[in-house]
Amino acid sequence: MTSYLAATSLEEAVAALADGARPIAGGTDLVVGARQGKKPLPEALVGIHRIPGLNGIRDSDDGLEIGAMTSHAAVVAHPTVRNRYSGLADASALVGSHATRAQGTIGGNLMNASPAMDTGAPLLCFDSAVTLASARGTRNLSLADLWTGPGHTSAGRDELLVAVHVPAPPPSTGSAYVRLQYRRQMEIAVVGAAAVVTLSEGTVTAAAIAITALAPVIHRVAEAEARLIGGKANAAAIASAADAAAEASRPIDDVRASANYRKAMAAVVARRAIETAISRAGGAEVEIPASESTYGS
Amino acid sequence: MSVPASATLLHVVREQIGLTGSKEGCDDSECGACMMLLDGEPVNSCSYLAVQADGSAITTVEGLAPGDTLAPLQEAFLVAGGVQCGFCTPGMLISATRLLRDNPDPTTDEVRLELSGNLCRCTGYDGIVKAVMEVAARTAEKSAGD
Amino acid sequence: MTIADSQPFIRPDGKEKVTGAGRYTADLNLTGQLYAKFRYADHSHARILSIDTAPAAALPGVFAVLTWRDVPAVLYGGYVQDRRLFAKEKVRWEGDVVAAVAARTPEIAAEAAGLIEIQYEVLPAQIDFEANAAAEAPLIHEQWAEYEADESVGLAGNILGHSSVVKGDADAAMAKAAIVVKSRYVADASQGAPIEPRAISAEWHGDKVTIWSSTQVPFAARSGVAHALDIAESQVRIIVPLLGGGFGSKCDFHFEAHIAALARATQRPVKLVFSRREEFLAPDHRREGMIIELETGTDPAGRLLARRGRLVLDKGAYCGEGGFFAQMAAMHACGPYKIDTINIDSYLNYSNSQPSGSVRAPTAPQACWALEQHMDEVATAVGIDPVELRRLNIIEEGDVGPTGQIFEAIGAKETLTAALEMIGYGQELPDDEAIGVACGWWPSFGSASGAYVKLNSDGSGTIITGAMESGTGAVMGLPLLAAQTLGMKPEDFSILYQDTDAGPWDMGSSGSQTTFNNGRAVIAAATEVRSKLLDMAAEELEAHRDDLVLAEGAVRVKGSPESHVTIAHLAGTGEPILGKGSGVVPDSPEVDASTCVGRLGLESFLAPQLMTQAVRVKIDRATGVVQVLEVAAAHDSGVIVNKIGADGQVYGGVLMGIGQALTEATVFDEEGRQRNPDLLHYKLQTASDAPEIQIRWIEIDTPNAGPNGSKGVGEPPSVPTPGAVGNAVAKLVGRHVDRLPMTAERVWNTLDAARAGTP
Repeated sequence: MTSYLAATSLEEAVAALADGARPIAGGTDLVVGARQGKKPLPEALVGIHRIPGLNGIRDSDDGLEIGAMTSHAAVVAHPTVRNRYSGLADASALVGSHATRAQGTIGGNLMNASPAMDTGAPLLCFDSAVTLASARGTRNLSLADLWTGPGHTSAGRDELLVAVHVPAPPPSTGSAYVRLQYRRQMEIAVVGAAAVVTLSEGTVTAAAIAITALAPVIHRVAEAEARLIGGKANAAAIASAADAAAEASRPIDDVRASANYRKAMAAVVARRAIETAISRAGGAEVEIPASESTYGS
Repeated sequence: MSVPASATLLHVVREQIGLTGSKEGCDDSECGACMMLLDGEPVNSCSYLAVQADGSAITTVEGLAPGDTLAPLQEAFLVAGGVQCGFCTPGMLISATRLLRDNPDPTTDEVRLELSGNLCRCTGYDGIVKAVMEVAARTAEKSAGD
Repeated sequence: MTIADSQPFIRPDGKEKVTGAGRYTADLNLTGQLYAKFRYADHSHARILSIDTAPAAALPGVFAVLTWRDVPAVLYGGYVQDRRLFAKEKVRWEGDVVAAVAARTPEIAAEAAGLIEIQYEVLPAQIDFEANAAAEAPLIHEQWAEYEADESVGLAGNILGHSSVVKGDADAAMAKAAIVVKSRYVADASQGAPIEPRAISAEWHGDKVTIWSSTQVPFAARSGVAHALDIAESQVRIIVPLLGGGFGSKCDFHFEAHIAALARATQRPVKLVFSRREEFLAPDHRREGMIIELETGTDPAGRLLARRGRLVLDKGAYCGEGGFFAQMAAMHACGPYKIDTINIDSYLNYSNSQPSGSVRAPTAPQACWALEQHMDEVATAVGIDPVELRRLNIIEEGDVGPTGQIFEAIGAKETLTAALEMIGYGQELPDDEAIGVACGWWPSFGSASGAYVKLNSDGSGTIITGAMESGTGAVMGLPLLAAQTLGMKPEDFSILYQDTDAGPWDMGSSGSQTTFNNGRAVIAAATEVRSKLLDMAAEELEAHRDDLVLAEGAVRVKGSPESHVTIAHLAGTGEPILGKGSGVVPDSPEVDASTCVGRLGLESFLAPQLMTQAVRVKIDRATGVVQVLEVAAAHDSGVIVNKIGADGQVYGGVLMGIGQALTEATVFDEEGRQRNPDLLHYKLQTASDAPEIQIRWIEIDTPNAGPNGSKGVGEPPSVPTPGAVGNAVAKLVGRHVDRLPMTAERVWNTLDAARAGTP
């Protein structure tokens, strides 16, 4: 029999975790997994969606602090996210359906550690960090250090992700997330890529590129970034960086795509993400989500 | 009422409360037939635990219009050919209701995107989209006339 | 006209569907009911060595565990009786049912099903249905020679069916043709995928069982249960609550007998509800995979002189009702064209995968997709526009079909003209857009069918029919026809249906034939009522019968409208007013098919429906992702009885066709297991993928048609869609994508090959 506790404070929640309970918020992944017989529901659940203070986006000069319980719908709707962290808005706009976006939380998404999650790559490119809380105290961890494999994180079983910190990008920075999708909605990424690019007089001064659904964990591609940084943001450099992203991929063959196709598409989505990030860095409006507005480019 | 911690919201509403309007078309949030509003926001109730909804307001298709009346969307679905087998209709109506609440004057593409979480195999979505646009147009006309 | 201005006839089951009050099978619970769960095969092909049900039976809460030992030793199947309720000697696909459990809760039933111990000798899964025809291929049904089979099917080892279309000497004509084009296309299996997973409840009352089932064909289900359980049909009553879609996949009888057997064994009502995964895996109804090889010879102008073809269809493990597929596919490899000589062989082969069964226009969308792309290839070789090739060769009144059928008035060419006009064929388009065109055809199915019409004392009427409503609106047409016959309003009629103890036998929601056949029956029954009303009114009004008319709910004397008597008055006299009828089934056109083998009646197309669809698509060349932007569908389905219902069939059918064209495929692993039995990986089109669809009905006067000159409507809309999409994509890619669905990856691979110039 499963037991359930509706936590009303963070203390209550982390105490339950220390006793072996598993957190539940939007519910989707845990409940679906149990219903399909993949993994039974945990014996003890602690509901964390009613804890005050975990929901919402705090916007300051230093960056964003996104509460773990913030929904994808709230992320997409936030004006600052759309303007300055457009790549994250691109990603949250694509998650599942309107219902998934209404109920699914950024914290749940990150802790699920799926290599196909949409929000992971842009957050990684923004050098985001997470705050983990437990009865032992709190600690901050870079996102890159959080994921250890598909479905696995370095967080302790007693730790709860409470917030994501996204440092403010320098001026003249643009970002984008682009994924390959066979339908306009109700998809998970077949391949995806995010780019965050900073420009100074047409020269790339900083670049971050990460790939999605192309390796056991979402990761940055240093070689792709290196091919952009210090040079002009021209087509040749973009293509070269996109190729580097594809070369770094280690895709699988599955029912959604072959490894060969995935690798080729990695270059396409990376190119589109970089192009869009550069356009946005230059002040151009590219509609969110970029996956739609770059179709055919 | 008391519910098992492992029971989904859909199961409790259908089997314990006895309102069977919300349907079970899949078990992984992919079809939208079970969609309800949870404090006004859409939820695939097949993938949500009932205990999580403790204290929340739930709206199902049965609650879209009082008594024996039909809400304008329900009426429009019938007239525009938005109903065939009817199995997706309850979830579709929930999504459409919430859409027009938040966006009373949507574009056709906004309607199509917002209803994409509700799969329909019968209608090609044509009558459904027309129905939503029709209700939106009528609402706009009415407010212009006021 | 906006919706608010018009006063349409709202579907009778509409209000309960939009309020959530309507009950579908899974919504019903019976007091004391148990829950059923099946134990499916653990392998796609294996010999069963032993089955031990004891561990399951010992689980508290389990009331019964059934296997082949517990039911009559009966084989069943439509054309070939090759299947048992529970696998005995072998399992032949992953969905073969080995055992069934009834328990207090669904969870206990599932746990018990997992506890049944089955020992197998695992055999190689033979999923290559083409290779299974080879003489050295091991037999999937070792006992095939002993099976009861329709002789015309042509059962021989792993080949369940063989059919040919032979007209003249195609070899000689091909040798002389100025232009010869050869193509090979391969279509994957796909699914009907109704949004309602099936559900069944059964309860015995003495020696009679009542079964509530989400079936499209209650009378076929009744026959199946009676046959499989070795009881009389009169002991079986099938009731269909609201049905949440079927698209053919809920045709045929199947699980009703298992649940009835469990209910009998436990003496309790038993309920089965499929999960989505089971809805993918367990029914013997998926759209068949198919290999289509075509060769066409023309004269220099493009006139079709010869067609040769070889088709291989994947039957899967068992026959079910799909034994006619070889012949249907062969007819669709000919298409609605004048062809001087033809030689097509079509094979339906067993394999160790899910059985194929009728899904909306079985065999036609795949065969049409291949043929219509082949036709575009022929046009290219001839050097004319694909549309010109069709204009030159499409059938018209007086033309002779592939089997010698002489076509009567037919709107094929008109559909072509209308579709091109609606889409604006020939317009300037951006270089990533193109328009593709495809023509198709589909027969109407004549069948016996019956109805009763009775009048009630308040002047309303009740239609009692065996017809089925799967959501199509098929039964919406029935009150319209009765009202028209009796001078009443359609709203005046209720319908008593979907209960085998009420209405006369009907073939159910299959073959797009409800209006065609049951409409005819309703008119006949209403005509009998009309006659009775006229007799009664003549006496009451002291007028001559011939001077009376029925209008606005009354019988009136012509010329003196104040002299009338209401239908309510006549019906309220206590004298029962009941009409029954079936009408005369139209004869199938005569053909000369003596040169063809595997004839199952489909060599003759009764009141054929013709359609042309033109589709505008957009391509993302870097990824191969195709979007369908616009569809123009022009259909000759005769006179349209119920426009909102007919339009609805086109909107839905076209979108189903787009799904089949681009995203829908059931993918099997090497062991014959489905790799994508869920709605995330089996991708139906969503509202945001659906294009604008324009419809035009070519309402010509059709001989041998149904009521008011109607033909069928439900299945044809899916037939030409994949071919039209394929032709549009080919214009953008530079060559034809030869696998269905034309997924982004396949389009991209084809683009790559076209660029590299590799074959």
